Amino acid sequence: MAAKVVTVNRDTKPGIYPVLIGMAITFKNMLQTMFGHGAATIQFPEEKRKTSGRYRGIHILTQRLDGTPKCVACYMCATACPAECIYIEAGERPEATIEKYPTRFEIDLLRCVYCGFCVDACPEEAIFMSRENDLVGTSRAEMIIDRDRLMERAKLVEYGPGYRPTDHDVRRPVRIAALERLKHEHGIVPGPPSR
Amino acid sequence: MASATETPPAPTEATSPAARVLKEALGGEVLKVEEFRGDLAITVVPSAWVRAATLLKTRPELDFKLFLDLCAVDHLDDEDRPKRFEVVLHVYSVSGKHHARLKVGVSEANPRLPTLTGVYRGANWFEREAWDLYGIVFERHPNLTRILTHHHFVGHPMRKDYPTAQRHVLPDPQTWLLKVPEGSEHLVVNIGPSHPAMHGTFRVQALMDGETIVDAAAEIGYMHRNFEKMAEVRTYWQIIPYTDRLNYCSSFMNGHGWALAVEKLMGIHAPPRAEAVRVILSEFSRIMDHFVCIGTNIVDLGAITPFFYLFRVREEIYDLLEACCGARLTVSYVRIGGLAQDVPEDFADRCRRLIDSVRKYTDETDRLVTRNTIFARRFKDVGTMPAEEALDWGWVGPCLRGSGVAYDIRKDHPYSGYEQYDFDVPVGTVGDCYDRYLVRLEEIRQSLRIIEQAVAKLPGGPIIVDDKKVALPPKEQVYSNIEALMNHFKLVYEGILAPPGEVYGYTEAANGELGYYIVSDGRKFPRRLKVRPPCFNIYQAYPEMIKGGLLADAVAIIGGLNVIAGELDR
Amino acid sequence: MAGIEIPHFCWHPDLPVDGNCRMCLVEIEKMPKLQIACNTVVSDGMVVRTTSEKAVQAHRTTLEFLLVNHPIDCPVCDQAGECYLQDQYMEHGLHDSKIQPEEKVRKRKVVDLGPIMLDAERCVLCSRCLRFEANVTGTNSFEFVNRGDHMQISTFENRPITHNYAGNLADVCPVGALLSHDFRFKMRVWFLEATDSVCPGCSTGCNIFIDHRDGEAQRLRPRRNVEVNKSWMCDIGRKEYKEIALDTRVTAARVRGTSGWEGASVPTALDTLADRLREAGTASAFLATPQATNEDLFAFRTLAEKVGGMLDFRVGDPQDKVRVLEDSVLLRADRNPNTQGCLDQGLGRTGVKEILAACAAGKVGALVLQGPELLRSAEALDALGRVPFVAVMATREEPLLDRAHLVLPAAMWAEVDGTFTNYQRRVQRIRRAFAAPGSATPRWQMAAGVSTRLGTPLPAATARDVFALLARAVPDYAGLDFKTVGAGGRGLPAGPEQIATQEARA
Repeated sequence: MAAKVVTVNRDTKPGIYPVLIGMAITFKNMLQTMFGHGAATIQFPEEKRKTSGRYRGIHILTQRLDGTPKCVACYMCATACPAECIYIEAGERPEATIEKYPTRFEIDLLRCVYCGFCVDACPEEAIFMSRENDLVGTSRAEMIIDRDRLMERAKLVEYGPGYRPTDHDVRRPVRIAALERLKHEHGIVPGPPSR
Repeated sequence: MASATETPPAPTEATSPAARVLKEALGGEVLKVEEFRGDLAITVVPSAWVRAATLLKTRPELDFKLFLDLCAVDHLDDEDRPKRFEVVLHVYSVSGKHHARLKVGVSEANPRLPTLTGVYRGANWFEREAWDLYGIVFERHPNLTRILTHHHFVGHPMRKDYPTAQRHVLPDPQTWLLKVPEGSEHLVVNIGPSHPAMHGTFRVQALMDGETIVDAAAEIGYMHRNFEKMAEVRTYWQIIPYTDRLNYCSSFMNGHGWALAVEKLMGIHAPPRAEAVRVILSEFSRIMDHFVCIGTNIVDLGAITPFFYLFRVREEIYDLLEACCGARLTVSYVRIGGLAQDVPEDFADRCRRLIDSVRKYTDETDRLVTRNTIFARRFKDVGTMPAEEALDWGWVGPCLRGSGVAYDIRKDHPYSGYEQYDFDVPVGTVGDCYDRYLVRLEEIRQSLRIIEQAVAKLPGGPIIVDDKKVALPPKEQVYSNIEALMNHFKLVYEGILAPPGEVYGYTEAANGELGYYIVSDGRKFPRRLKVRPPCFNIYQAYPEMIKGGLLADAVAIIGGLNVIAGELDR
Repeated sequence: MAGIEIPHFCWHPDLPVDGNCRMCLVEIEKMPKLQIACNTVVSDGMVVRTTSEKAVQAHRTTLEFLLVNHPIDCPVCDQAGECYLQDQYMEHGLHDSKIQPEEKVRKRKVVDLGPIMLDAERCVLCSRCLRFEANVTGTNSFEFVNRGDHMQISTFENRPITHNYAGNLADVCPVGALLSHDFRFKMRVWFLEATDSVCPGCSTGCNIFIDHRDGEAQRLRPRRNVEVNKSWMCDIGRKEYKEIALDTRVTAARVRGTSGWEGASVPTALDTLADRLREAGTASAFLATPQATNEDLFAFRTLAEKVGGMLDFRVGDPQDKVRVLEDSVLLRADRNPNTQGCLDQGLGRTGVKEILAACAAGKVGALVLQGPELLRSAEALDALGRVPFVAVMATREEPLLDRAHLVLPAAMWAEVDGTFTNYQRRVQRIRRAFAAPGSATPRWQMAAGVSTRLGTPLPAATARDVFALLARAVPDYAGLDFKTVGAGGRGLPAGPEQIATQEARA
């Protein structure tokens, strides 16, 4: 595209008339705000701004059906975190299919930059972010949230879930040509053996 | 990255005029010419450093008048290199539409190099930064003192063997920046760093004769977080949130530029849908940044109303960004090779409504401000920067275009599909504050044009490149098969492994050419990342600009330069 | 060697070739089918293509087959970060999966075999563990059971591994089937930094890596050295890392005052020691320890020679055990890393019995111990009681230190740069991985500090300098410096003891 260059017009003829136009604009806006519900502000904390379902707020650790954390302490989130704010210690679980769980899982909410990389990195759907963003505390130690506080489900109900994996669309079409050919040409869908 | 029709193809050693001229003039003093991903790098011996730079600037067929960047690189563990440090110069030719990179090796035992301030005025602060962070002494530099770290700092923090756990306490601020003549009756005034007129934390000390500024000196570094050193221990993915915090008023654009630079290094391209969404959100971010600039500039002059109008629209743009990625200010939405996730379904409708809203409030601001007498008299012929001087300082973006130079990367080196969109580049004539204001206002309107076209043409398709070494696999795959899980693991703990080499990736950010100079040695962390911050060059000229003017003019000028501390200090 | 990587699983440089994984298939000109690189002898004029279309496809297919039944275990598997499957998938695989997780064959998981854990599902049937047990330890613990898809690795009745080399099984296993029980779930390996060093457990001096993070050693792993330990080390040596970060480290100097121990800074303690040595003069004795590096020994010897006191090191007669193999693989009876270094520097002079006799007779005014060995021997108790001033450099707190009058905090092997000489007379470098706790200082630095206070400073600022002085003073070490010793060590010419042992074996 050829660079189409335009020169700005400096000859704007300032004078008294533009001042009157300006005052008309401000008066119109004032009336709109007062009577036409055109105000830009809301009465916080009684009203809160609506956030989307992708909002990156304070984290939540998900639970299995028996109430234990889904997290298997794989350290992906701690590795991905650019702020190095997640501290994990792993312990053994008796179930051979699960094996590992976090004995300690702490996020320093003051170091956290709420980038959501921990959610991106988790391979177990164990951590996601809620819409909670009002973080208040009286000491720094209080703002290091531990595993049990992270698992509290009540917060989810109040604030709602935010940034989490199920929101992602499939980013590229999953092509498994061999499986498709098997299905179309032979009518076979592979599954567990019937024996 | 370059469009095939308008811009010249990437120079090779044979075709590049810079390489040819330097080789003819300097002969054996040109040590080598390397080409990587379309970038040409010419290495010379230290004794030819100043002559080579002068040739680049003064030869009419080269005409590299725009000074971009000067930085140092530490190659401590690289046994193939005879010298530990390397100083790299980036310059641009507006007439020839190409970049040049000049490099020179500097040894650890004798880290000295002659200064380039005689060739390019803009090299002044860059050389101070190289001295501060690396310890390279530039001979005959007018003022080789620390710039980003404080004056009690000991050591050179960007060196690879600097002990990072050290702390250097600053017991007292640097009270005097200027040399006040003996027996002078002039008043010394500190403007900033905590001053609402300084939009960000930077400081200017002015020697006042009544209301006139006789002398001025600047101090920066209040927001220096040494992002470039952090980048040396973070993977390419993890650096994305750091880039958000450069120009935080338009954070998406920094991420966009970073993703494009890494994609250039990797030799990959994001899919068309991702590029289109990147363009849309970048243009909205540009609009946001111009709103901040105009709004705060006018507030300094006393007009508070447009500030509220413009910031109200910024809220609506924030809502759009939040719907896309979950955060308003520091979005971290880009990924190398595309975007983190697809835009929501109502994206196109939201954009259209937002365009109308932006247009409405921009027009209102225009009608309020542009023809106002007071405003015109405060801005016209204040802070004039002639084009030649602007290029020498390294000005880019709306400030440079205000001075009459039509350099816009979106037109001259189109990226992300900008060549498909029809828009104009506004330039000024005089280069004063009024021109810069008008250019920004017009740029907002042109950005709206681009967004309209992009939304209308928004293609379907994937949102990230289909390359398993770059993009995290979809979550369904990660949960259900071992291959995708292994892929995911390797990408998280090892990251993207860029090939060894170096690139300079550049985009038109809100303030101008935001460049990322990445030196990679094939490992998961970059060896060096240098951000070419547009406001660094722009602010460098500020103390010179305000000399001889009134204090009130100094306030009017600084607002229009749009200096953001996050980008200035990194 | 040429920098070309050929993917493999079952091949190992120190185990016999098996050729069962079929991953190293390469295309060789004039041969119609692809050949495995691990078992094909090179001949003149052979042209081998490792990255041709056919070879690349073969690698990908082999990997795909290996992954058919592989469990989705990466989050819970410790091998992540050093897993052959992960690394080779990124380089040679990058295929999409065709298998549903329900179709995968299930095998035994979390089988506790004592020092290692077995997870049969993750096994790729490379037989490295089998060949290790058969050839290196001779214990033959592993065998393959079942057939086809259900083939698994197993020990008889899941009996635990009882020999001293179980840790190597975790090292040779390319995937997470065999993992160290001690390291289980402790740390992800990509957080660890590896420093070259030498194991201090016995006089073999196996080359190792210290894997550490943030100043704490997390594990030790063998470093391949064909001359010394190949790719192996014993489990006793692996546990040495636990001794480093104990809470019972000596972190500060202390002097016995009138009412008990008083803390002191290291310089003050060295002042006291120098004063007492000046007083005692030749009526002093010095006992070196074969736990110290060559640099420590040299500084100590210089100090002893300057003062003119008696000098020896042979508490417990380590010189008799230095070449004696305790098992058939690596472990030697002498549990000190540097007995040979003491012998080379001629530190066995006066004789320990003679020193003790002099102590008992009250003829020793000051006794300087480079290590607490003497304090532990019951026979020395009486003799020690007669010495008015006993100084000891110690690393671990023990009640026996109360028998001394001055305790100096010594830095341990992982916290210093230096060299050990192993039983083969091979000089090997150790490197400092992290800082010593508190004010613990390298032994050579403390001895040099005393020398300075006595008027003859040691002209050395770093361990490198001390080694340079050593090389000039000890004839067999002439011409050596840290660089020539290098990562693999340097063998000295065989001394009379080595020749005698070789003749005895032959």
